[in-house]
Amino acid sequence: MGTTASQLGKELLSEYQELTFLTKQEILLAHKRFTELLTREEKDIPNVRVPMERILTLPELKSNPFRKRICYVFSTSEHKDGSLTFEDFLDLLSAFSDSATMEIKSHYAFRIFDFDDDGTLDSDDLQKLVNCLTGETDDTQLTFEEMKQLISNILEESDIDKDGTVNLSEFQHVISRSPDFVSSFKIVL
Amino acid sequence: MDVPSCVQQQQQTEEVWTALLQDSPQQQGNLSALMSTFSNQGFLNPAYHDSETLELDKRSPSRSRHTNPYAGGGSRVQPDVYPTESSLDPGRGPWGGLPRQSWDGGHGIPMDLLSTHPGNPAWRPDHNHSSFQITTEAHYQQSLSIQMTSLPSGNMTIRWRGHTMRRMFQNTDPNLQLAENAIMAQVENEEIHLVRELVDMSTRDRIRAIRDLPLSFQEKKHIRSQVLSFMSSKKSRHFTCLGDCSEHVSRSFRRCGSNVRSARQTLELWQGTMKEIGGKFGTSVLSYFVFLKWLLMFNIFSFLVNFGFITIPQLVLDHSPNTNISFRGLEILTGAGYFNYTVMYYGSYSNHTLFGAVNYEMQLGYFLTIAVYMVLCGIALIFSMASSFKSNYVLADSSSGAWQLLCSWDFSITERAVRQRKNNLRIQLKESLSEKAQREQLTSSEKLQHFGIHLGSWLLSTSLTVGCGASIYFLCSYEHQRMSDSSSWSLLQEAETLLVPFVVSLMNMVVPLFFSLFSKFEHYSTQRRQIYALVLRNVLFRMCILGVLCYYWMNEVAIKYSCWESVVGQALYRLVLVDFIFLLLGSFFGEFLSNVVGTRLIPRLGVPEFDVARNVLEIIYAQTLAWIGIYFSPLLPAIQILKFFILFYIKKVSLMQNCQPPRRTGRAAQMKTIFTALLFFPFFLGALAIVGYTTWSLRPSEHCGPFRGLNSTFSVVEEWIDDLRQIPGSSWVVFIYQKIIRSEVFYFLISIIILIIVYIFWQVSQGRKQLIVHLRQQIVNEGKDKSFLLEKLQNLQKSQPNQRPKQNNNRKSKTRPHAEDLSSSGSSNSNAMVQVLLARQRAEEEEERLRTRGLPDPPPHQHLYDTSDMPQSSSSALALAMQARQRAESQTRGEYYSRAGFTENHVNYRHAAEEDVNSPTSVNSVMMQVMQARQQAEEEEEELKRMKRLPAAPQNPAPSSALIQAMLARQQAQNEYDDGY
Repeated sequence: MGTTASQLGKELLSEYQELTFLTKQEILLAHKRFTELLTREEKDIPNVRVPMERILTLPELKSNPFRKRICYVFSTSEHKDGSLTFEDFLDLLSAFSDSATMEIKSHYAFRIFDFDDDGTLDSDDLQKLVNCLTGETDDTQLTFEEMKQLISNILEESDIDKDGTVNLSEFQHVISRSPDFVSSFKIVL
Repeated sequence: MDVPSCVQQQQQTEEVWTALLQDSPQQQGNLSALMSTFSNQGFLNPAYHDSETLELDKRSPSRSRHTNPYAGGGSRVQPDVYPTESSLDPGRGPWGGLPRQSWDGGHGIPMDLLSTHPGNPAWRPDHNHSSFQITTEAHYQQSLSIQMTSLPSGNMTIRWRGHTMRRMFQNTDPNLQLAENAIMAQVENEEIHLVRELVDMSTRDRIRAIRDLPLSFQEKKHIRSQVLSFMSSKKSRHFTCLGDCSEHVSRSFRRCGSNVRSARQTLELWQGTMKEIGGKFGTSVLSYFVFLKWLLMFNIFSFLVNFGFITIPQLVLDHSPNTNISFRGLEILTGAGYFNYTVMYYGSYSNHTLFGAVNYEMQLGYFLTIAVYMVLCGIALIFSMASSFKSNYVLADSSSGAWQLLCSWDFSITERAVRQRKNNLRIQLKESLSEKAQREQLTSSEKLQHFGIHLGSWLLSTSLTVGCGASIYFLCSYEHQRMSDSSSWSLLQEAETLLVPFVVSLMNMVVPLFFSLFSKFEHYSTQRRQIYALVLRNVLFRMCILGVLCYYWMNEVAIKYSCWESVVGQALYRLVLVDFIFLLLGSFFGEFLSNVVGTRLIPRLGVPEFDVARNVLEIIYAQTLAWIGIYFSPLLPAIQILKFFILFYIKKVSLMQNCQPPRRTGRAAQMKTIFTALLFFPFFLGALAIVGYTTWSLRPSEHCGPFRGLNSTFSVVEEWIDDLRQIPGSSWVVFIYQKIIRSEVFYFLISIIILIIVYIFWQVSQGRKQLIVHLRQQIVNEGKDKSFLLEKLQNLQKSQPNQRPKQNNNRKSKTRPHAEDLSSSGSSNSNAMVQVLLARQRAEEEEERLRTRGLPDPPPHQHLYDTSDMPQSSSSALALAMQARQRAESQTRGEYYSRAGFTENHVNYRHAAEEDVNSPTSVNSVMMQVMQARQQAEEEEEELKRMKRLPAAPQNPAPSSALIQAMLARQQAQNEYDDGY
């Protein structure tokens, strides 16, 4: 503990605490887990980026159907490769932590579900979302008819302004009415 | 510029952007096969725009938000607007030709950046959200708390989201330089305002607000440093010692708070285990363990209280417990014999007063400890129940839609569980689809059959419950006859006492199995109902058994035994212990054996699922026993702590070894609420009632226990008050006791006041419900409004094939429109859009003005002839609309009358108009056609309304038609302008 604390530095740690929803322990644990992902050479470089492939070896993310989307959403990389710095990683954990607000959680959930990054969930996004959740192989996928019906149900349920897509406010409205979301949108290291 | 107005201005600006951007994804998406139906729904309905769409719009409190910030400025601002629009519009396809090729031709960076950065304008839903919230805030001061709490950050998000736009326009074309500058200015402005807002907050709020920004860490850091630097510069100007001190104090408090938080997290029991369970079995199973842990905490608290305030004084008072009875071993099970003379039970507490630094009266201590504990328990339960009701029930959707399933995806589960979850989710999705499909297909005979089965199973389960209750009563009476009131029982007699708890626990284990068997035969429309019915039967059953036992204790035991409280305490001890043994056996036989059977013998059955409902009811029942027993056996919580602690591990092992995750999930949060509510309502209140009855009405034993010699336990308070009378200065306590606690008038008044308050709140909530309906309707209407306007624009563009051939091709293409070359007409179209918005704004202003004058809005045909009544200065758009309309009217009146008879709806008209304009005609005539179609549709509407005997509200069509007219007029002007070049 002493070593990790000194690695992070007191000022930095309090800044992390102030800007994320994580406690000191969680930040230290996150730092520990993150440095484990680094190679020997990378350990000395400040603000090093860990490529997405290595991030996804974490058991918490390994089998998550949205793992790539999560990395892309939280990555601040210029190249859109889903690589994460430690601060991006903290951001990720903060959004998925217990104490994050509904607003934050639904915002990031929306962005994770928005596969084409266009700011709304259209039918393509919904289809991808459903496929992610049911499995993408042919025998597990819903049939075309079922998918069509399902998406029309979803839109009927949530597309309040009837523009054929679900935008963030509509999504947040839906989320606020499904109480399980907050407890299930959670990743703990 | 003062801050609020500036802020508002920004929001309005945002509104324009967002309104313009809002439709781009739809335009992209509506080409795909699945979408086509949805994108058209809104405006294929000829009736909608004449309905209350705009009427509601006008009335709405968010009305002013539609105002165009550039309206006042007129032409001065317009050059600013156009480039802004065009630069912000990556996805506006079919109707909005843009200089997009400059981006696509390059490297596509603006497009990418635009869509992936958190603060980009494509995130305009932020804005929608906040405007929704603001309306909400204005009306529901306290409801919808989730949205309320997120309000400040929501606002900030909007204002802040321009921040990252700066980077996104770094690589853009030189011809967008102007736009870039405008946006940069805007962004700077927003940033300054955000920072200023943050600076004005208290430290705590500021930290929270920054943390709540949905931005990346770097951006948050940037804002924070800005805020801090701003603050330090401010502080240096007027430095005060006081402010500095308070800053210091609040900082140390904050630090202390976060330390406490992290310490609590370190101390958190079973953290790793909980994570493991959550990872393997999901949230719903985890909720059982969380519940168990929560109850364990309750018991630890109650043990500490009882031990500290009852047992320790007793031990200090009486060092040598009467131990002439030897310990035989069976006591551990029966709780009788040796234990009877320890501090375990009521009987061995004395009624003396402990003389020390402060006189400690045992009687009063015993009574007040129990009373305060019960009250604290009740308050804790009420609070947790109410808060979870608020968040999980009131706000929750009543319909079990697909979103519920999709949103309840557990992000915490790992590996094997993910696969199972995917399978289960797929099955659930399919079921929900088929449920919807066959919901109406029940014949009456089937319904009758279902009803018969329900009735039968209810009858069966009720009779089972009653039978069990009766048999327990007879068993108790039998035991009652055999037992003697002696201080020591023989070993056999002592063993016989185990009969009743054994039977009770056996019933508790077996009967619920019957209940779940019954529910297998029943057909419930939803799974939720099935669970509710099952839970209800189980609760009734357990209530019945506990009721019978309590009746027996209160009425028969209390008369027969000399130290009856201890006897009851023993009985409860036995029940708690035997129940524990049966719980262990239950998880062994119930889960282990069915696992063996399911995997080895009959694979069809499969691995058992962990039945959360049954298990939770079991621990609720166990906790109720402990609550009832707290008066009779103050140290019972200690037994309960041990029990729950061991149970946690047993259940965990059993779960990991034997069970699979439940197939049907979802609604875990609601189930948790129900369980908390159940724990409170029948069980805790029942226990409270029994303890209350005992202390209030039953006569305590003559020769044992702290209350010996008193008429009732409560009279201890009366004696205390009598004592207090002699002490000067404590007359207020006496007064309170006499005038409030013992006065019926007080309770009468209190209950009347509470009833009145309840009634008022009920009315308020009814009103809010109505308001919710209205607001929802308003959102829908605005959506329709928007889509109608877009449709109109599209049609107008379709009707000019000669002028814009490229665009026409593009509209029909199946590919993403941004791949196409749209340069020819791009800016003019966005201009048109802006113009339309301006026109709309003006039309609305016009409406406002008319409204304030108290004039009813004239119906559309009046508009035609009463233009002179309109204030000329007010709105050029409206005037333009009038002129265009008059022209159209005069030119096509003949045609209009000839056609009026045979058309069905305005879609037909539109089609007709479109066909007409396939030949190259002048812009004017195109306009005429469309307007004519529109007019006829309105006529049609009027007639329809009349036919339905609906009062055709005279002002209803006015706003929408004015709007449309304005829009058309603008478009026409634009076309003429284009022609001129």
